Amino acid sequence: MKAVKDFSINRKKNGLLKFLIGAVALLFFLFILNIFASPVRNYFYAVSVPIQKTFWSAGASSSSFFGSFLQAGSLAKENENLKNENQKLLAEVSYLQSLEQGNQAQNDAFAACQNSGFRLVMAGVIGLDDNDVLSIDKGSADGISEGMPVINQQNVLFGKVLKVYKDFSQIMLVSNKNSVVNVKVQQSDTALPEIDGVVKGNGGLSAYLDLIPINDTINPGDILVTSAIEKSFPKDLLVAKVIQKEKNDQKPFQSAHLDLFFDVKTANNLFVITNYKQTN
Amino acid sequence: MVIILLFYFLALLQNSFFTHFNLLGSVPNLVFILFFLLVFFEKKKKNYLIIPLAIVAGLFLDIFSYTYIGPSIVLLIIIGIVLKKIQSLLKNREDNYPFVYFLPLFLICFAVYEALLMISLHFFDLSHTLINFDLRFAAGIVYSLFFAIIGFWIFKKHAKKIQN
Repeated sequence: MKAVKDFSINRKKNGLLKFLIGAVALLFFLFILNIFASPVRNYFYAVSVPIQKTFWSAGASSSSFFGSFLQAGSLAKENENLKNENQKLLAEVSYLQSLEQGNQAQNDAFAACQNSGFRLVMAGVIGLDDNDVLSIDKGSADGISEGMPVINQQNVLFGKVLKVYKDFSQIMLVSNKNSVVNVKVQQSDTALPEIDGVVKGNGGLSAYLDLIPINDTINPGDILVTSAIEKSFPKDLLVAKVIQKEKNDQKPFQSAHLDLFFDVKTANNLFVITNYKQTN
Repeated sequence: MVIILLFYFLALLQNSFFTHFNLLGSVPNLVFILFFLLVFFEKKKKNYLIIPLAIVAGLFLDIFSYTYIGPSIVLLIIIGIVLKKIQSLLKNREDNYPFVYFLPLFLICFAVYEALLMISLHFFDLSHTLINFDLRFAAGIVYSLFFAIIGFWIFKKHAKKIQN
């Protein structure tokens, strides 16, 4: 009887020992994997790029097809063209407003050295994860480093480089929950002064405007562009449009729902600004 | 090998193709769905397969995210073992894999996985939101559930072939 008891205790101990050895081995394996996380990830992405690009393009075209189908006709394509045209016009308006309000000579110099002086690296979009982090097919081998701003051809801000690997990078979109971008609200009446605020990511490809003083007036349709307060992004990049404001007199600041200008679905190629002087 | 390739294919699919069909910013977690189905339809005698399955599925989930490699692997091992334990406790029916067991088990396991993943991400990176039970969280569960139900009927139809 005693022997049976001892045997069962040993079996229990044996099981516990096996579990502990397994857990330690797993943790050791994960530890080693994390030490080599960068080359491992780079290898997987390098191998996957052709397939991911194919899937991305297939997703874009089928989404566009179903979108067009649902909207009975070529509305989706027309809408996309109009959106692109609108963004170009908004970029021009933004630039003109900036010229009007600021010192002409200073702005000319700024435009000359900044807007035309940007060194851009074009990159293809290959994926997007659940946390609003976009993957592109260019990395440190192409001169990209962390914190660099990412835009599209219409000067719409997408976000900044979060992590860089040898052959690919991950971009934290403006809508990422950890993203905070300093912006200025450009009002339709150019005589009114610009209002400073911040765009905070909400996740799910959405964001909201915050820290607008309660006494300032913002309206649906107002355009948000990057400001030069924080040196993470060049100024006057298009960010979003105000949809609906939320004002509570008990709070010192007002906020607003936004329609972000970037569209991940139509973004096949993006541009990383590699020579913008950053502070973080 | 086929299962590894399938996990890889689904990881790529959910990160690129399904991005264009997101529901409130959420895409179905196809890798988790396949892992859950494989464990759910696994024969009791083959419980030891949970760990390699969790390592492969978790590895692909973590590699195609921007955080550390590991949280998904550990969570899937725990979920797999707990799932098998719950299945063994449930009363045996004529049908070994009834839908009435599948539906609540999937919902609970997926919600727990998502919640624990958020907590682990917060643990590694404090700037990450601790936990957020919002509309997007719910949309992610519903969207994944839709594909899980389709997968369930496919697996059920071919259960014997898959188990062998």
